[in-house]
Amino acid sequence: MIPLPGSRVIILLLAVLGLALAPLRAANKEINLFAWSEYFPQSVLEGFTKETGIRINYETFASGEEMLAKMLAGGTAYDLVQPPDYIAEALIKNRLLVPLDYTKLPGVKNILPEYLNMAHDPEQRYTLPYMVSTVGIVVNTERVKEPITGLVDLFSPRYAGRIVVVDDARELVTAALYVLGYPLNEINTKNLAEARPLLAQWMKRIKLYDSDSPKTALLNGDVDLGYVWGGEAARLWAENPKFAYVIPKEGAHQFVDVMAIPQGAKNVEAAHRFLEYLLRPEVSKAISDEFPYTNPNGAARQLLTPEQRANPASYPPGDRKFGTFRHLGETGAMIDELITDLKNAR
Amino acid sequence: MHALADTAPAHGGRRAGVVAWLLLAPLALWLLLFVVVPMAGLVVYSFCQRDDLGRVVYDFSWENYARVFDPIYLKILGRSIGYAALTTVICIVIGYPVAWYIARQRSPLRERLLLLVMIPFWTSFLIRTYAWIAILKSEGLLNGLLQFSGVVTAPLSLLYTPTAVVIGLVYAYLPFMILPIYGSAEKLDNALVEAAHDLGAGPIRAFSHVIIPLTWPGIAAGIMLVFVPAIGMFAITDLMGGAQVPLIGNVIQNQFFRARNAPFGAALGVVFTLLFILTYALAHRRRRATTA
Repeated sequence: MIPLPGSRVIILLLAVLGLALAPLRAANKEINLFAWSEYFPQSVLEGFTKETGIRINYETFASGEEMLAKMLAGGTAYDLVQPPDYIAEALIKNRLLVPLDYTKLPGVKNILPEYLNMAHDPEQRYTLPYMVSTVGIVVNTERVKEPITGLVDLFSPRYAGRIVVVDDARELVTAALYVLGYPLNEINTKNLAEARPLLAQWMKRIKLYDSDSPKTALLNGDVDLGYVWGGEAARLWAENPKFAYVIPKEGAHQFVDVMAIPQGAKNVEAAHRFLEYLLRPEVSKAISDEFPYTNPNGAARQLLTPEQRANPASYPPGDRKFGTFRHLGETGAMIDELITDLKNAR
Repeated sequence: MHALADTAPAHGGRRAGVVAWLLLAPLALWLLLFVVVPMAGLVVYSFCQRDDLGRVVYDFSWENYARVFDPIYLKILGRSIGYAALTTVICIVIGYPVAWYIARQRSPLRERLLLLVMIPFWTSFLIRTYAWIAILKSEGLLNGLLQFSGVVTAPLSLLYTPTAVVIGLVYAYLPFMILPIYGSAEKLDNALVEAAHDLGAGPIRAFSHVIIPLTWPGIAAGIMLVFVPAIGMFAITDLMGGAQVPLIGNVIQNQFFRARNAPFGAALGVVFTLLFILTYALAHRRRRATTA
């Protein structure tokens, strides 16, 4: 007979295993946060843990599509996700988010009204805005002396090999649609066919595609112009005001990154506490200090310094209205194919 | 292969015993869990479709395979093979003399030189790639040096070019070429080279007729270790090539995340893998034909 380990040993082993797993199972003692990279200051996360004892596991992604793919794949049960508006819209339509309990979120009064009840979540049932940004043009005015007012100026032949753009097929196509005068969410075969020759010309002049940190190549002097996230432009301007930010005259859109609780979240209570913490003016200000996107929290904006509020990339002057991305169904694949094909053609 | 089969009986019978299977079990399990099962999943996915969120829908379709053979993707595959082949050739040209030199040294020095080849692995691959960005960027170390010494007046545009991609690839894979060649060169009996000289072979003839054939197993292993992974590499093209020109690795990665089209990504992956198996089988058959 094969000697079996004594039952006492087995019980002991199970007990040890149980002890090891116990902290993992305790509800609302931790939050699995799935958010953009370069978006949460460490001090903000640590401040919450210090105050509440709730640990935050911050897992990052680099594009809204990547977030969606990993969230749908299962794996981790996320308690909070941070999709951009058009991905949030798709999640809401597919009933993949948990409605928020506003009795636990009195701080929502701090959010400026123009950032509530937007197209992606018209009843504001599922999402809270985190940060907002436009997408626009950065110019190194020490190297580029001519005035740049729009996308046609940016992609002109004289700047060939001096341009960085975000590595995002939809952003590129949207820029082309603006120049052609089409609405940014009308993605169809005809409009893409018209955009194609324009994009083919532009893409020959682009030196670098980078969504993670387009500011790096501008700072390094490898390129002199960019079509980048407003928050990246704001950090460049704060570093050196020679980096001017231009909202393209042909048209510009803004994106809203929101916080939401996905179906299947295990720590809904703790997630609400973290959301309420983020709504606090001083916490939201601390986020703006490190990541100077457009802060939708009006009370937090009051706390910003005059220099921070004067940053043209964070708070574009004037009162232009910006479009937002809507969820694309099947047509999304056409965009990806077009850009892959064009990248390949050069 | 032949030698192994011939000597095996002397070591206790042809039939693999229970012990042998037990010893093999961890490897077999590992292969099953992390190669066979994922590969099977990939094959299943490749015949599926996606819904508008990008979730896999289990409806049978040939569509993904039809798309793989679209000229767009064939061209990308061709370019990837070109980059990988160039990388492999450069790795052999640089790596062979290094490996040969190290193998010919006396013991303590030899181990130290070998250590130098391996030291870069102690740092994360991504950090080493970022270091190259610091070297090649237009206000970087290399341009600074060239301008300071007066070789060039304006900074050279090195980063975000195909050249930068090849530099990155060669840098990443060079040790994988040096180590197997070293292994072969170290075992090479110097008496054979001397015999070649005694029989009247000059240095070139001795090299091409004696040294190369005897170190060929190392070169062949190096080619497999460099060429195959270099085709699928995507991080270097993104970071050092500026994501301008897609290689097949980038396209596959994009399908799984940005484009959220896992079935198409899976089809690309399956075709890609079949291609490797085919190449390997052909190479193997030719080698057997030449040794037989």
